[in-house]
Amino acid sequence: MISLVRVDNRLIHGQVVEAWVPALKAARIVVADDEAAGSDLVRAAMGLAVPATAEVRIQPLAEVDFAAVHADAVKTLVLVRDVGNLVEARERGLPLVRVNLGNVHHRPGRRPVTPSVFLSQLELDQLTMLTSSGVEVEARAVPGERAVSLPELKDRYGKGG
Amino acid sequence: MVGLVVATHGHLAEELVSTAEGIVGKLPGVATCLVQPGASLDEIREKIRDAVRSVDTGDGVIVFSDLCGGTPCTLSLTLSRQLQLEVLTGVNLPMLLKAASLRAERLPLADLASALTQYGQRNITNASASLRDGVAAGNGH
Repeated sequence: MISLVRVDNRLIHGQVVEAWVPALKAARIVVADDEAAGSDLVRAAMGLAVPATAEVRIQPLAEVDFAAVHADAVKTLVLVRDVGNLVEARERGLPLVRVNLGNVHHRPGRRPVTPSVFLSQLELDQLTMLTSSGVEVEARAVPGERAVSLPELKDRYGKGG
Repeated sequence: MVGLVVATHGHLAEELVSTAEGIVGKLPGVATCLVQPGASLDEIREKIRDAVRSVDTGDGVIVFSDLCGGTPCTLSLTLSRQLQLEVLTGVNLPMLLKAASLRAERLPLADLASALTQYGQRNITNASASLRDGVAAGNGH
């Protein structure tokens, strides 16, 4: 069962291991990312971080069977690198219920909408499309923060971040 | 001399080094690397690489990271095949102070890393429990 899908360009890192996994009581982390999956060093380094009680899968996005991950009872956190990957995962059958935007780094065309999330107009439009199919989208780095809703993110973007 | 890089979240690295220097004086061959929100992995990796290069005199570098599995640790590990470095986690003040003194003994990089790991672990204690045990055993001071 997929408890949460998180967009985080750092994939498995401190906030995920120390805050989200305990908060979600997640027993499985699925990283759907071609670059991470393509490096044995990155896979090993990220795997080191996760407590032995949780299973880690780091796979190319196209190879993740999202429906199967959602079908069993294992609470799962899915990590993708950015909004474009989220859309691709959705097209490949990722059942979205809750999407959290954690870390999306700055690049030209993106504006800051939280201290750790930078989005472009295209990405905001893509997220809006997802919410129209009933998905809940929020931004926050860690569970203890206030979740910033998509309308609020758009408002901040409109004001220049 | 083995170079030292302290790589952490927030401003911990700078504070650890300045605190260590407040205790034992200026530390040569020490660089810091801070991981801030909004930076891309490539940017952070380059910052770590620059920090390592700035203190590498040919004897290798020890990276002291804060959290096993945190970004500073993970990215340092991904550099460990290209650069001569050892990556430690759970950096604490005793380790840094010990590194400053132990470097003078010119241990090989891996031995120094191993000694500092053990030293850092040994210095996490329940001091009050040790005191109570010591008093109970009659050898308290």
